[in-house]
Amino acid sequence: MARRLLGGVLLILALALSIAFAIRSASSVGFPASPAGARGNPLLFDSAFWLVWAAPFAALLAAGLTRRKDSAIEGDRVLRHDDTAILQHWGHGVATVILLITGFALGSVGLPRFVSGMQPAAVALNVHFVGVILFVFATVYYAANTYFSGRLREHLPANVGEAFQGVIAHYRAVLGGGKFPREGKYFASEHLTYPLAVGASAVVLVTGLVKVLAHSANLPSGLMLVVRYGHDVAAILLGVFLVAHAIAGALVPWSWPLLGSMFTGYVSADYAKHHHQAWYEDLGGVESDDEKRKTA
Amino acid sequence: MSDQKSKEPKGYSRREFVTGVGGLGFGAMLGGLLGSSILLPDKVLALPASEGYILVDTKKCSGCSSCMLACSLVHHGETNLSTSRIQVVNNPFTPYPGGVEQDQCRQCPYPACVDACPTGANHVDTANGNVRTIDAAKCIGCERCIAACPFEPARAVWNAEEKHAQKCDLCADAPFWNEEGGPKGKQACVSICPMHAISFSAEIPQQSGNAGYRVNLRKNDVTWKTLGFPDGDDGDYTYQPGAKAIGG
Repeated sequence: MARRLLGGVLLILALALSIAFAIRSASSVGFPASPAGARGNPLLFDSAFWLVWAAPFAALLAAGLTRRKDSAIEGDRVLRHDDTAILQHWGHGVATVILLITGFALGSVGLPRFVSGMQPAAVALNVHFVGVILFVFATVYYAANTYFSGRLREHLPANVGEAFQGVIAHYRAVLGGGKFPREGKYFASEHLTYPLAVGASAVVLVTGLVKVLAHSANLPSGLMLVVRYGHDVAAILLGVFLVAHAIAGALVPWSWPLLGSMFTGYVSADYAKHHHQAWYEDLGGVESDDEKRKTA
Repeated sequence: MSDQKSKEPKGYSRREFVTGVGGLGFGAMLGGLLGSSILLPDKVLALPASEGYILVDTKKCSGCSSCMLACSLVHHGETNLSTSRIQVVNNPFTPYPGGVEQDQCRQCPYPACVDACPTGANHVDTANGNVRTIDAAKCIGCERCIAACPFEPARAVWNAEEKHAQKCDLCADAPFWNEEGGPKGKQACVSICPMHAISFSAEIPQQSGNAGYRVNLRKNDVTWKTLGFPDGDDGDYTYQPGAKAIGG
């Protein structure tokens, strides 16, 4: 735990320093109308664009070297998320928040711009750049090590129809009408929203990389128009998902054990037994009382 | 048997392959960055000069705004003073013609607006006489070009209806006009002005601070002379080569 805390503090410090550097770079951006062509300090998207292309390779390298730890029951608690899962979750989440704030500040389809003038726009663009690096790294890292560890199937719904029925049964039980269905590691609602999150992230990533490429190459106007709208719409969808995820996963009190597991990695065995019965039993946990009554 | 086994080529797992790709790619990026920073010289922004400039003689301007209406019409298909790329401003507290100001893009040799654009939407169109123009499809609406313009008011303007920046392009892209525009063609404002107060020049005119180019389009205007209107600045002619002689 102390190791994870130290690692988290160091990563947060690195991020804060990066953002501070981005803001400082932006405040020295000036464009005197000098015939000598003094440019001031260019935007990070122009001067450090190579970082955007290096990030996915660094992520692939990191994913290849990563060894995952599977979920397991350890006494009175269950390991739900290993260090890698925690790192990629918060990395992706923090990056998304930075990108959404700075991106919407610069204006999006159907939404007004909140920054005006050279300096504020430069600040937003440079901080957006920091978010881009983190987002590209975290997304590619997640995709690669999820693929290597075969964990994609635990996120996707095995049967979409059953997943919908599971969602209805779950919320009916929340309202007091019936028993809670047997849940795996992830709730049925999480299985159904996972493709939205992945799809929106993928579109934002690909269109964003094309926009970065446009800094180096002269791309067709028609392509850039499609890319711009695609990027904006996917960002809005990602924002909607983020808000719903934050509410369902963090704000509502019955999700606080899950929120805690995203820091410590563990949930109590009691919580797992009652709220994720199928998962608990798959890990070799004791049969639930329901199962005992059925077999008696 | 053991000899045979040791001779079999070692296979690589998908993990090892991707790890190798990641390592090589990251190394290549760092190597390229290091190499380019040592071997390549610093980038210099050098843009070719425009082959056309709009000249305005405000002492001939009557403030009728025909130029603004024509500009918006040929570019956007409707007359709208808000979407015109040339702006005429009248100061009601200053006697005519001192209160008339025309704010047109000067096609600067060093275009700060082009330099400020983060997406390349504001660019030098080398296919159209190096005119400084904005590709609306690439504009993300950050308005850095408007803020970067060294002149007051900015010569790049915001189109609030279509949500993109725009500027004078010497009518290079005027989809609602059946004349050829650009530095080699015609400009709507020049064509429409009833006072012949707007002219076009292929040479860079003499600058006059924030007020614009030093232009006198009255001296060569026969109609102007016939009417007996003053044609000089306190008797000093500021004849500029390139201004078209009207009624010559």
